[in-house]
Amino acid sequence: VGMMSCLGRFSPLLPSTSSSLGRLLGKRGLNTVPRSTLRLRLVRETDRVQCRFFNLSSGKGGNRETRDTLYYVLSIGVIAIGVTFAAIPAYRIFCEQTSFGGLTQVAKDFEKIANMEKVKDRLIRVQFNSDVPSSMRWEFRPQQHEIYVHPGETALAFYTAKNPTDKPIVGISSYNLTPFQAAYYFNKIQCFCFEEQILNPGEQVDLPVFFYIDPDYANDPSLEYLDNILLSYTFFEAKNNLVLPSPFDPKNRPNEKALEKMKEPIKKEGKK
Amino acid sequence: MTQTGPFQRVNTVSAPLKGSFPLDHEGACKYEMLKYMCCLHEKNQQNTECRELAKQYFSCRMEKGLMEKDEWHKLGYGDKKE
Repeated sequence: VGMMSCLGRFSPLLPSTSSSLGRLLGKRGLNTVPRSTLRLRLVRETDRVQCRFFNLSSGKGGNRETRDTLYYVLSIGVIAIGVTFAAIPAYRIFCEQTSFGGLTQVAKDFEKIANMEKVKDRLIRVQFNSDVPSSMRWEFRPQQHEIYVHPGETALAFYTAKNPTDKPIVGISSYNLTPFQAAYYFNKIQCFCFEEQILNPGEQVDLPVFFYIDPDYANDPSLEYLDNILLSYTFFEAKNNLVLPSPFDPKNRPNEKALEKMKEPIKKEGKK
Repeated sequence: MTQTGPFQRVNTVSAPLKGSFPLDHEGACKYEMLKYMCCLHEKNQQNTECRELAKQYFSCRMEKGLMEKDEWHKLGYGDKKE
């Protein structure tokens, strides 16, 4: 019924057979057919093809060619979606293999440091910041607020850490750089991060940071007006073999005398 | 701008090239460090002026065994005609 109603809309305008267009083209060739009629016939043909689509599920009258075309189009769509998902790691692998645009930042070797040229017309201000979590009892601060560095020049900066307590504390630090675009060019040759550092009670040490800014900093258009970098270090406490006292330990109870003292005023009030 | 996407550089915190400085517990190179800091203070925090003193600090560290010995040009102190 569906098919009949669908075709009924178009049948007065169409020739009875589906190969009418082919016949039309075959007799006179594509160039000789007036465009308007060709377009009209093409539109009608596709409408007819679409009507056939709707009847595919019914099984009878389903045109195999149109079903195959449907499958091809659907598969192209699925492949396109898959390509967009695969593009992200593929691009990254491509960049790593070819160093396209200098995107890789792996294995800066000593040759580069030996051969790099100082960029004289850019002066970058590197500011220093230090942080400790509130539970960490080291005193940790930078020795200088800022340092002015040319890209391509190695520089040294210092932090100080002091352990004012009476127990050795092990610390481990991490760093962060802002802004992120400039941080890409900041390379550290040697520092005091990512390794456990132990400080004995009352000890104070100087912690050096040896770094350089890549000379390509001057060639980055997004960094043309950016001359400030903030280097921030945070020292965390690292605990090896830490054994916390168990709350179920019978010896781990509040002091008995303290408990007695707490109870006394209540007894006195009760007596009154 | 901390957006990450397929064409944004994702900054990962990376390890330093030569690793970590051993801690100077005895303060063996503290004098060189103080000279360097004074130089920075006098020259208005300019790194270029005080590089020689930084080189002295590194040579002190290398002598005392607190830093791996490396040739100077590998640390950026090569002889270059400016």
